Amino acid sequence: MNIMGALQDVWNYQLGTGGPKVWEVAQFVLIIVAAIVIARVIRTNIRRIMKERVPKNTLSNMEKLVYYTIVFVGFVIAMSTIGFSLSGLLVAGGIMGIVIGFASQTVVSNLISGLFLIIEKPIKIGDGVNIDDVAGIVEDVRILSTTIRTYDGIYTRLPNEKVFSSNIQNYVAHGARRFSYSVGIRYRDDADQAKEIITNLLESHPLVLKNPAPQVFVEELGNSSVNLKVRMWAPSTHWYGVYTEMLWKIKVALEKEGIQIPFPQRVVWFADTLKGDITTDRQA
Amino acid sequence: MFGTYNLDVHLEEEGIELRVEGTGRRRRYYRKAGGEEVEKVVYADRAKLIVCPVEPVNVPDTTISEHLLTELTTPAVIASGSRDTFYVKFPVEIGVFVVDSRDVERIDIFTKTQPKYTLYGPPERGIVCKWWKSDLYMEEPEVDRLFEGVMQVDVKNDYYQWMELHHVVFWAFDMKIFYNRHAFMHAHLTIQKRTIGETSFITHKPKNMHKAVDIYQAKGLKKLKEKYVMEWGFQ
Repeated sequence: MNIMGALQDVWNYQLGTGGPKVWEVAQFVLIIVAAIVIARVIRTNIRRIMKERVPKNTLSNMEKLVYYTIVFVGFVIAMSTIGFSLSGLLVAGGIMGIVIGFASQTVVSNLISGLFLIIEKPIKIGDGVNIDDVAGIVEDVRILSTTIRTYDGIYTRLPNEKVFSSNIQNYVAHGARRFSYSVGIRYRDDADQAKEIITNLLESHPLVLKNPAPQVFVEELGNSSVNLKVRMWAPSTHWYGVYTEMLWKIKVALEKEGIQIPFPQRVVWFADTLKGDITTDRQA
Repeated sequence: MFGTYNLDVHLEEEGIELRVEGTGRRRRYYRKAGGEEVEKVVYADRAKLIVCPVEPVNVPDTTISEHLLTELTTPAVIASGSRDTFYVKFPVEIGVFVVDSRDVERIDIFTKTQPKYTLYGPPERGIVCKWWKSDLYMEEPEVDRLFEGVMQVDVKNDYYQWMELHHVVFWAFDMKIFYNRHAFMHAHLTIQKRTIGETSFITHKPKNMHKAVDIYQAKGLKKLKEKYVMEWGFQ
């Protein structure tokens, strides 16, 4: 009887004057936990069902919207159990918002930048990008920050304000991209033949696009070589593989046909004819 | 080569070898085509093997493109308001599926053709397409059936001017492939404006033909739209 009575006293104990009772606080915590659990279950199911049907970026935004809406609704319901009405909460929230806004301008700035990033969509999850000299794959675009996995595999978090105000290079925003090489051949080699060999090689590669057509032309008559410019387009999602593959293939194809890539060389002319026979000297 | 087989099949045709060996639940799938060899272990109680043509956008990589651009060797000039039918060839990709009463699973896709890609539209907004060049035929052409298929194209020019057609773009999600001796598709092209047209595929199964396995349907990917809008012209 005493134990039960004590428990009941604790259960009904009022926290502070006019404050909520212990059971009300327990109810508050329970509702919040339930809301989070429900939100997670629904988020997981949305991910499972929609994973192959909607783009990754849309799915991520959808998940976040559903998750935070459920948690917010749970929070509002939970607040009413400890005596806070929704209208009171909104008024308090408004005042608190102003206070917090002044106190944390950076957070608000990141938040607004995040919203603009989600609306404007200069980057999407999975895109290869370079933002503020951080190059890598976009892992997530959150409300306050954007996370990037660099090509070295390093997790990098960028505040959204920085992302929004930086120059963003999105390597896969367009379907195709162009890249180029400079290839030097000897002056004695036939540049037209070299152009034909390279063009045929590019034609035979599946991922070097047919249109826009690759370009091969003499770019410069250099000190030691005739420099050819080789330009090609490839699908943005696969360009790097082509880029790393083709230069060596060009070199091998040219050499197979007797066209060589020369070493730097310099012809030296003497003002006076050399005295003495070098050949004779050597023999001597 | 095309057809439905038990899991003890051995096929050889035009440099392609395909076989399933073993007994009981564990079988070994082996395929050789060109210089490429593929081996997989298949665990199945009761299953069949389907070998059929699939949407020609999967080799060398399924993620590169979902569209096929057929470039015509001879452009077609089409009068305003006219309708006509012509035939083109398309590259054949051969899909191998295991199927039981519950599910279909793709285990292999290969081709004898040399894949090539192109950009349809401007670099900033265009799409990467699988590229194929074909003559334009007035009657159904003969084909090397493991290399090329036949596509019948019904064209309609709704634009008020003559139009010159150099290429047509098709969306793989929408393709309906049939086969008997060779692969076959029946497409429709409507020219709406100078740079806008619509391509779609006819679902009706031709007589004496089998319907090929639809990869997208097999994977439960719903087709939200059944047409492709060519936005960047026909030249």
